[in-house]
Amino acid sequence: MRPLTLGRLLFRCGILAALLFVVVVVALKMGAVQVSLYGLGRDLIRVLLRQSSAISTDYGMIVLDIRLPRILLGIVVGASLSVAGASFQALLRNPLADPYVLGVSSGAAVGAIVALIIENHLALSPELAGLITPIGAFFGAALTIAAVFFLGRRDGHIDSSTLLLGGIITASFLSAIIMFLMNTLAGSNLRGTVFWLMGDLSTPQPRSLLYFLSFGFLVAAGAIYTTASDLNLLLAGEKEAMHLGVDVPRVRIVVYLAASILTGLAVSVSGAIGYVGLLVPHVMRLIFGADHRMLLPASALGGAIAIVIADTLARTIVAPSELPVGAMTAMAGAPLFIYLLRRRLT
Amino acid sequence: MQRVNSIFTSGPAALLLAFLLLGALDVSAQATSPGPPSQPATREVVDEMGRTVRIPLSPSRIVSLAPSLTETIYALGLQDRLVGDTDFCDYPVEAQKKPKIGGIINPNLEEIASLHPDLVLVTKSINRLATVRALDTLGIPSYATTDPHSVAEIISSAQKLADVLGASEAGKSLGEELQSRLAALQAKLAAVPPQRVLFIVWTEPLISTGQHTFIADVLRKAGAVSIVESSQDWPQMSLEEVVRLQPDYLVFASSHSESAARDFDALAARPGWRILDAVRNRHYAAISDAVNRPAPRIVSAIEELARHLHPEAFQDSPGPDKEPAPANPAPSSPPRSAISSFSRTICARSTESLCAH
Repeated sequence: MRPLTLGRLLFRCGILAALLFVVVVVALKMGAVQVSLYGLGRDLIRVLLRQSSAISTDYGMIVLDIRLPRILLGIVVGASLSVAGASFQALLRNPLADPYVLGVSSGAAVGAIVALIIENHLALSPELAGLITPIGAFFGAALTIAAVFFLGRRDGHIDSSTLLLGGIITASFLSAIIMFLMNTLAGSNLRGTVFWLMGDLSTPQPRSLLYFLSFGFLVAAGAIYTTASDLNLLLAGEKEAMHLGVDVPRVRIVVYLAASILTGLAVSVSGAIGYVGLLVPHVMRLIFGADHRMLLPASALGGAIAIVIADTLARTIVAPSELPVGAMTAMAGAPLFIYLLRRRLT
Repeated sequence: MQRVNSIFTSGPAALLLAFLLLGALDVSAQATSPGPPSQPATREVVDEMGRTVRIPLSPSRIVSLAPSLTETIYALGLQDRLVGDTDFCDYPVEAQKKPKIGGIINPNLEEIASLHPDLVLVTKSINRLATVRALDTLGIPSYATTDPHSVAEIISSAQKLADVLGASEAGKSLGEELQSRLAALQAKLAAVPPQRVLFIVWTEPLISTGQHTFIADVLRKAGAVSIVESSQDWPQMSLEEVVRLQPDYLVFASSHSESAARDFDALAARPGWRILDAVRNRHYAAISDAVNRPAPRIVSAIEELARHLHPEAFQDSPGPDKEPAPANPAPSSPPRSAISSFSRTICARSTESLCAH
C-alpha cells in the first residue's frame, strides 16, 4: 500500500468535498418549489453581490431560509456523527460501535423531554423557548457522558470493555426513564418527542445554534484528529501501542470526551439519526483504508454527503409530507450493513 | 507522515470548510433582512396560547394545520379563503381537494411558504411548537387555538376564530345555531336519567376518556355520564375495573354506521368482554367520528348519540330536527374500515390526539 502523503490526502478530501458540493446543489434544487439550476446560480450570485431585493420572495424564503439552513445543519450533524462513530469504533475496538452505543442519545432525549416539561411551566421569551430543547438535550447528553465516564473507569483508567458495558446499561436505563416520562407526563408538548427520537432535521434551528455547532464540531473533531496516528497504533492492540510510545490513557480520554461531545451536539439539534455514524466509517474504511488520518476527514465528508442525500429523499419522496430523516437512514442503512457484513464473511 | 498529521491538526482544510459554511449562512442572513415593500393593513390579536400576533385585518390566504380548524372554516363559510390544509383534513369532502401541505406534526414548510399564506391556523394540542416557531422565523403569522375542555369552549373558540378572520357575523350566527340546537336537545333530555357509559377510545390497551376532556362533556350533553372518573385525559383502564363499574352502554366512534355492528362484534369477541352486561345485551352506540374533532360538527355527533341512548325521548317528534347531512361522512369519502378508525384513535392517544382532531 502506498504511504499516505499530504497531497494524496488533500486530493481525496477534495474529491469528497466536490461530491458534497454537487449533492448540496442538487438538494437545493429539489423540493416543493422547483428551482432551475440557472435560477439557482443567478440568485446565488445576486445574493453574493448583495442585490437580494431582486430575488423573488418565493426563492428567498424557501431556498435560502428553509432549504439552505436545513442542508447546512445536515452537513454538520452528519459530519459529527460519522467522526464520532469512527472514533468510538477505534476507541472501543469494536466494529459495531456507533455514536449512540454509550447512551448519549438516550441521555439527550431525557434532557429534551425534561426541558419540554419545564418549558410548560415557564413563560419564556420565544428566542429562549426555541433554544430550550437543544440546551436540555445537550445537558442530558453531557450528564450521561460524565456518568458513563465514571462507570467506565477502573483503577483510574478508562477500560474499553467496562466503558462499553457501562454505556449500554446507562442507555437501557435511560430508555426506561423515557418510556416512563412519556407515559406519565404526556403533556401536549411531548408529542414532538416521538418524532425527535427517530431523528429529524425538519425543525429550523436558530442561526446562532448552527454557528455554535460548527464551532463545536471543529474543536472536537480537531481534538480527535490530533490522536489520529495514535488511534492507528491502538488498532494493533493497547499493549503494543503503549510500547510504541502512545499515551493510551490520554488518548482514550481525549477521544471519548470529544466523540461524546460531537454526538451530544448532533443529537441535541436533530434527535437520534441512526446508522450514519455506524456505516459511513465502514464504507470509508473500505474505500480509503483504515488509516485514521485519512479515515476521519473522509468520514466527516462522507457523513455530510449521506445525511444531505437522506434528508433530501426524506423531504421529497412522500411530498408534500415528510419522513423523519432517521427513518430514511435506517431504511437505506440496514440493508447496506447486512451487505457489508456478508462481504466480510466471504 | 508526521507532516500530514501536524498540518491537518492545525486544520486549514477544516477551517476552510467552516468558512464556507459560515459564509453561506451570512448569505442567507442578508437575504432574510429586507422586509416586504408594502405592508397590508394589520392588527394585533391575542391567540388562545396567549401570544400576541400581528395578522392582516381580513386574512384572505389561510392555511389550516388541523382538521378541526379546517372544518370550522367551512362551517363559517370561509372556505374560499382557505388556500391549503393537511393530509388529514377530510371533512367536508371539498377540503380534500385543497392543496395539501403535508401532515400535522410534520407539515412541509416549503409547501406552506409557496402558498403565500397571510395566516396559518394551528392547534396547540396537535401541532408542534417547533412548527409555530419556524413560521415565526419565516415571518408568516400564525394563530393558535388550545385544547377545548367542553362543548361551550369549542363553540366560543369557533366564534373567536371568526372574529380573527374578520367574519364576526358568521361566527355569531353559527354560535347561535349550535347553542339553540343544544338547548333544544337539553329540553328533550331533561326528563330522562343519564345512561352510564364507557367511552372507548382504543381497545388494546383499553383507553377511555377522563373527566376534563371535551368528549366527557359531549357525553354529558348527550344524556350520558362516563363511568370513568379520572383526572388523566386519556386514562388506560383495566378490564377488571370496567367489569366492576358495569356500564349501561359502550360508546365508540365509527366512521360508517354499517361498520358499527362489525366493530361491536369484534369488541364482543375479545377475551373477557363477555362478562359485561352491556356486551351481552348488545347495548352499544357507535357515533360519527366527528366526536373526535373539536369542531362545530360536534353538535351533530351529540344529537346522534342522544338519539341512540335515549330513543324514547325522541319518539314523539321525529320530524323537526332530523339529522343534518354533515352528521355522517359524505358518501364519496373512501370507506374506512373499523380498523382504520381505531388506528386513527390509537395514534391519537399515543401522540396525544395526533390524528383524531
